[in-house]
Parts: sequence; structure tokens; C-alpha cells
Amino acid sequence: MTMLTSAPTGIDAPRDVLAALLPDDPHQGRPVVMDEQAKRESRRAVIAGICIPGYIVPFGSREMPVARGWGSGGLQVTLAIGSSDDSVKVIDQGDEEGVNAVNLRRLIVGTLGCDATADTAESTIVQSRHRVPEEHMGTHQTLVLQVPQSEPLRGVEKSVYECKRRHSEADYAKMWVGLYERLALTGVMGTGTGHPVMVHDRYLMSPSPIPRWDVPRLHQSDHLTILSHGRDKKIYAVPPYTNVEPIGFDDVPFEVEYDAAVRCAKCGTDESFMIETRTHEFICSDVQFCLKVRAGQADLEAHDRIVPRRYYPDPSLRVRAQADAEVEWSVAAGTGVTAPGQEWSLKVAGLGKVFAGRRGSSEVVAAAEVSFDVAPGEALGVIGESGSGKSTVMKCIIGDELGATGEVRIGAVDEGRTNLLEMTPPARRRLRTDTLSVVYQDPAMGLNLDISAGGNIADALIAAGWRSYHAIRRRAAELLERVDVPLDRIDDVVGQFSGGMRQRVQIAKALATDPQVLLLDEPTTGLDASVAAGVLDLLRELLAEREMAVVVVSHDFSVIRALTDRAVVMRQGRVIEQGLTDQLLADPHHSYTQQLVAAAHS
Amino acid sequence: MTSSTTPILSVRGLSKTFTLHAIDRTVTSLHDISFDLMPGEHLALAGASGAGKSSLLRCIYRNYLADTGTVVLHDGDSRIDLTALGDRQMARLRGRDFGYVSQFLDAPPRQGPLRLVAAAARRRGLDEADAREAAADSLRRLGIDERLWDVDCSVLSGGERQRVNLAAGTVSPPRLLLLDEPVSALDPANRVLALEVIEDLRHRDVSVLAVYHDMNIIRRVANRVIYMEGGRIVEDGPVDEVLGAGHRVLEEAFA
Repeated sequence: MTMLTSAPTGIDAPRDVLAALLPDDPHQGRPVVMDEQAKRESRRAVIAGICIPGYIVPFGSREMPVARGWGSGGLQVTLAIGSSDDSVKVIDQGDEEGVNAVNLRRLIVGTLGCDATADTAESTIVQSRHRVPEEHMGTHQTLVLQVPQSEPLRGVEKSVYECKRRHSEADYAKMWVGLYERLALTGVMGTGTGHPVMVHDRYLMSPSPIPRWDVPRLHQSDHLTILSHGRDKKIYAVPPYTNVEPIGFDDVPFEVEYDAAVRCAKCGTDESFMIETRTHEFICSDVQFCLKVRAGQADLEAHDRIVPRRYYPDPSLRVRAQADAEVEWSVAAGTGVTAPGQEWSLKVAGLGKVFAGRRGSSEVVAAAEVSFDVAPGEALGVIGESGSGKSTVMKCIIGDELGATGEVRIGAVDEGRTNLLEMTPPARRRLRTDTLSVVYQDPAMGLNLDISAGGNIADALIAAGWRSYHAIRRRAAELLERVDVPLDRIDDVVGQFSGGMRQRVQIAKALATDPQVLLLDEPTTGLDASVAAGVLDLLRELLAEREMAVVVVSHDFSVIRALTDRAVVMRQGRVIEQGLTDQLLADPHHSYTQQLVAAAHS
Repeated sequence: MTSSTTPILSVRGLSKTFTLHAIDRTVTSLHDISFDLMPGEHLALAGASGAGKSSLLRCIYRNYLADTGTVVLHDGDSRIDLTALGDRQMARLRGRDFGYVSQFLDAPPRQGPLRLVAAAARRRGLDEADAREAAADSLRRLGIDERLWDVDCSVLSGGERQRVNLAAGTVSPPRLLLLDEPVSALDPANRVLALEVIEDLRHRDVSVLAVYHDMNIIRRVANRVIYMEGGRIVEDGPVDEVLGAGHRVLEEAFA
């Protein structure tokens, strides 16, 4: 370690020793910070990253003689791809003279035996933190970005597993929900640096904390960009000529930091990324570029071609300008889709689910031979006590519980020809975006309590493909109004709402995309009696005005009676009786149903 | 067959026995009931309490499931067997083609008379605006004060509830109506209003099967009577015949 903590000039003695010991040493006596094995492994990760643009590749990040978080990821990539032929430029926040930049540069030069340069045009590798150089980079150049946060979804999704799943299914709706929240609360997109980008219409990527000004530089660039996160052990890349689109809403687009009134106090340009000095002047963040402009050496023609004018702020598109735009109201009523020649839009046939026995517990038949179908505009009740299998049936329909046998068909899905139980989990999850909605007993199951009421509804709409901020906001307002949530609470975090209000928001969210099939799982259980009554009344009205096929699961006959015309009674996983709801109450046949009715009358 | 000779409703061999599992007992309420209801007819069911009159209405409406027998609803040349009809079809038919006014108002909680009656009219095919108008009309005819139209039905008096119930049953009336003691809780003045509405059904080509306890009402509104005893039909004929001089037993039973 001594050789690493001392300056390159101070290691002449060990270098001589090494040269004497290893005459064929490829390092020619230079210190070995990264062995060849580690370099090969890093290069393999880089190649994988180039092959799948934007995809995050894990690699065995080594200990480097810099602290994690100080550029260890970028350093490993530069050392792995660099050689003594290279000319390396290292910048930190646009400045080559920062302590960190100086240290990294000396380490790289000392290890690779390469040249160092401050001139972007002369460099072959640019290792950078927080900036893409202002000057154009060509096909012979590689940009290595140090990354403090490789997972773009981390801000909106805490579970690593969920992040992985979303990448694999290209399910990035949550990212727009995050943008929606910021827009709704602050009026601007509010991503300072590291604005998430879509790489070649497939992977969402975090471009490291470069300013928005630099983000368009990654799009269809001539140079290769490699991003590396040492602490997280992740590498990803943007190959030359790859589409890189900053995400945004159709009507509230991404914009870069630009103000025509702001000019560099030193070189006078207005078209570069500026930082403010302590004396409230603005100067170019890229020091070398600024020097070149002043010396008249900058290739301003090339620079002109890469300036992100397309994304200059357009005040007319800002949310605030339209915040008071008139809201158009409309009561949307979904039209029921049945399978051709059939009456039903949801059909369950011979549904079964067995929980395999494990050590300490025996096999449980949670559902067996459950069959029913539901027509548009009709509500079917599923009633039974705890453990009767009614919740299992519901979970099997929505796909929360896998491994069921039998059939579940929806008229709107492939005209009812496809058995949902044979679809892949991602395909079933997609059905949840616009075809099949659920209202859970616990609002926390259907809502994100950490975001606003509007954001929760935006979540459903964005998942279904809505990308217009104003349209989303209008629809959210319309739905909240319909479920009697005061409009001035649209931007309040749902976690601050009362139980009844949360349930209303959950109902609004479930109806947001006008689903064909709606499942209500004990929708009023757990609410105070008076609150439950209000929610029940609301549901009855909503069901009457829409042509949905509805399944109401409840242990409570009064709920089933208020919402449904027909019902099935479940016990021990089986349907033991079915009929018109009023007939089941007035003339129950099975002894168990008679008990249930007697209990309801008490 | 012409429409005047085709019944609107044919009941054949209808029987109903309840099995009460909790006390391990069976109770038979209907024995082999058969009769036809002709179009435009107002058929009254008479008999002592427990004779099976309400059970018969409920079995026809499928509020009770009959054990044996058929209930056929005729519509032109088509015949629909209500005892064999699927639940979904039955639910649709109920709202649209035939109605049932129970003894007690069975209103969804927290709903006012106007909304309740308008909803019934909507089920019978009226659009939103027409349904409200028809509902308002119906409530007015039955003397329900306009101030009560939006209050929760559960706070209404017994008589008011019965009239709201009748309003919901007779608004934009279906072809066939089953009435279970529709005026039993009404004071004389309101009874007059209700009977006017019931009598008016005949002018609107509505066939009615109704349970009444009052012979005078039967004489006034019905043109045929079925007298039941112990779940069986013991008399079936025109009002004048069944309630005529030769049937003093009946007269005494209702005295």
C-alpha cells in the first residue's frame, strides 16, 4: 500500500525492483492496481453492457485505492479498457483541477503508463463525474462516467426484486408516477441531475448525475459511453448511435437548464452548462471549454451541432401555466365486453387450488370445482366465512395466487378463448392495468400510501399507457369527485387520509381505466359502521352506472344483499349453494347457508 | 289460440316444503297448487294466516324455490318456465317483465323514496328523466308528501313505507304484478288512494295476482278469488260466486 499512497514520483525505487524481478512484466514496473484477471472480467461486463444497451450488468468490483463513492467504478473501467497508448482526461464537475480529479488522473497515468490531457479533443478516454464535456466527442473516444446510483427505479421502488422484475417486463409506469408527483407538487419536473432516460426503447437507465443539459448528448452519439458503479458492482453502457430519450409527459416534456439571459462571465457564451459563483456571476462549468472559447480555439461549429436546443424550456408547456385550465367533466361508463355468443364477460369453471402439505402442515384444498360466470352490468356475490375459500378464489382470478387448476376466462381477453390460468405472470399482471381491477379490504394493498391521491390514480392510468400529464390530472380529479373525495385533497398523501377516504381513493383507482371486470374483496370490512355504509352506497351507485362484471367477496350478507342480484355460498373450498341473493336469504336450503342467514339476522 | 284464452301465467302442481336444519324439522306450506291467470285478470288470494298465500307469491317470484311443479310465464307464443330459468335471466325478467310488491318495504338502506321509485322505473326501461317524472307522479298519486321524497326510507311511518313500496311496484307497471297485502297498513283515506292506483292497473292491461284480507277490497278490485287452506286451493271462481250466498263459511272467516 505504501506505493499507492505516495505520489507517482515517489515510487521509482519499487518500480526498479519490480523491473529487475520481472523482466517481462507487461506493466513495465508500474504498480499493479488491477490484475489482468480483474480487468478481463470488467471488460466482459462492459461488452455485455454494450450488447444490451442500458441493461445493468453486475461485475466483481474490486477494492481500489480510492474510497468507494470516489470514482472506484469508473476507475476500474478506465484501467480495464485503457493502455499506455491512451490519452486520458479526468474531470470532476467539469474541472480537471479538483483534488479528486487530480488524484484519479495521477493514479491512472501511473498505472497505465499513458498520457494525461486536459483537452477533450485530444483524449481517447474521458473519465468524468457529473458532466459530459461540452465539446463534441468522436467515434475514437470513450466516455467513462462514475455513477453514484445505478438503479433508476430506486427512488420509487425499494424492493430490489421488484426493480429487476420491472426491468425484465419493461414495466416502468412507476417512474412516470414519480414525475407526476413532482409535477403536481412543485409544478416542474424537478429532476436536477440524472434525469432517467429510455435507452433504445427498452431499458430505463440512470445516466449518473449529469445535468439535464448533458442528457441529450447520450442520444445518437458518436462516442461510446460506459457507466460504472463501484460500490453497487454494476456496469452499463450506451453504444454509439443508440437512441436515448429522456422520459417525460407528452404535454409536459423534458427540458434542459437554459436561460437566454445567462451568459458566462468569462467567455460570454450562453450555450453551455453554467454554475453560479459566490459573487452571483455565472461561468461555464466545463473549465477547459471556457478556456478554449476565450482563446478562440474552440470548434464552435461542432459545438453548435450538439447544443440541446430541442429541449430549451418552453414556458407555455410548463404545468403552472395550465394549472387552472378548465377541467372537462365526463362520466365514463365502460361498455361490457362479452365472449362472442356468450352472455358472460367473466367465467370461472372448475377452479381448484391445493396448498401442498409441508413439514408441520397437511395438504389443504382451498378451492375445488368452483364455477360461476358473470355478465356485464351484473354483480355476483361470493359469501362464506373465513377459510371458506372465497378469498382464494379471488386471488386465483386476479393472479395473486398461482398454481390453480381449472379455467378463468374474460370476454375482453382474446374473446374468452384464453384460459387466464395458462398465461404467464407478466401477461396476467398486464391484465390488471385495464381489464381487471381489484378493490382490496385493506387500502394499503391497492394503494401506495406514500404518494398523493392523484398520484395513485395516475399510477393506474400511466400503467395503462396514459402519458399526458393534463389528461391524467383531469381524469384523477373527475374520479375523486365521483367518489366524494374533496378535490383540494388531490395532492395530499393518501397515508394522511382516514380509512373510509382511503377506500374511496382505492375505488377510484380501480375504476380509473374502466375495467371490464371488477373484484371487490370485503370492500367495507374494517371500516366503522357509518363509514362502511357510505362506501357501500357509493359502490351501489357506481355499479349501477357502469356495465362491469362485478364479483363481490364478503362474509357479510348485508354487503352481498346491497350489491348483488345473484350469489354463491362457499364452504370448505366448494360452492355449496347458489341462487338469487334474495332467495338465498329468504329460502336457504343448505344447513350452512341457513346458519349464515340466521347469523345475519342476529 | 287468441290472447284472451291464453293465460299469462300457468301454475301447475306447485309444492313447497321447508327443511329447517337447525331444528331438524320440515314444514310444508304448499300442496300441489295449479291455476291459470288470464291477461287483464285481477285474481285475489284469500285465506287465513298461514294458508300459504304469501308463499305462493314468493314461489312464483322465485323468492322461494318450489320443490316440484312449474310456473310458466306466457309472452305471445313464447313460454318461459320460471322454475327452470337461470338465476341471471330471472333477475333480468324480474326487473322488467313482472313485479312483486311485498308486504313490507325492502328498500336498500339510506335511499329516499324518489330515488327508490325512479330506480324501479329505470329497470322497466324508462330513461333517467322519464323515470324521475314517473316516480314523482306515482308518489304524488299515493299521497307521499314531497318533503319526504329525499329522506331515508327507514324513517318513514309504516303506512308511508307501504305506499312507497306500492309506488315502486306500480310505476310504469309490468305486464304481471304480484301484490302481497298492499294496503294492510293504510288508514282509510290512504287506502282509498292506494285502491285507486290498484284498480287503475286493470285499465293499463296489467294482470294482477294479489293477497288481501279484506273481503270488501276483494269485491271492489278483483274479478276472481282463490281461497286457500293449509297450503291447498279449496275454492277458485268469480268473486260473486266464491263470496256469494252459498259460501257462508268464507263470509264468516272474514267477518
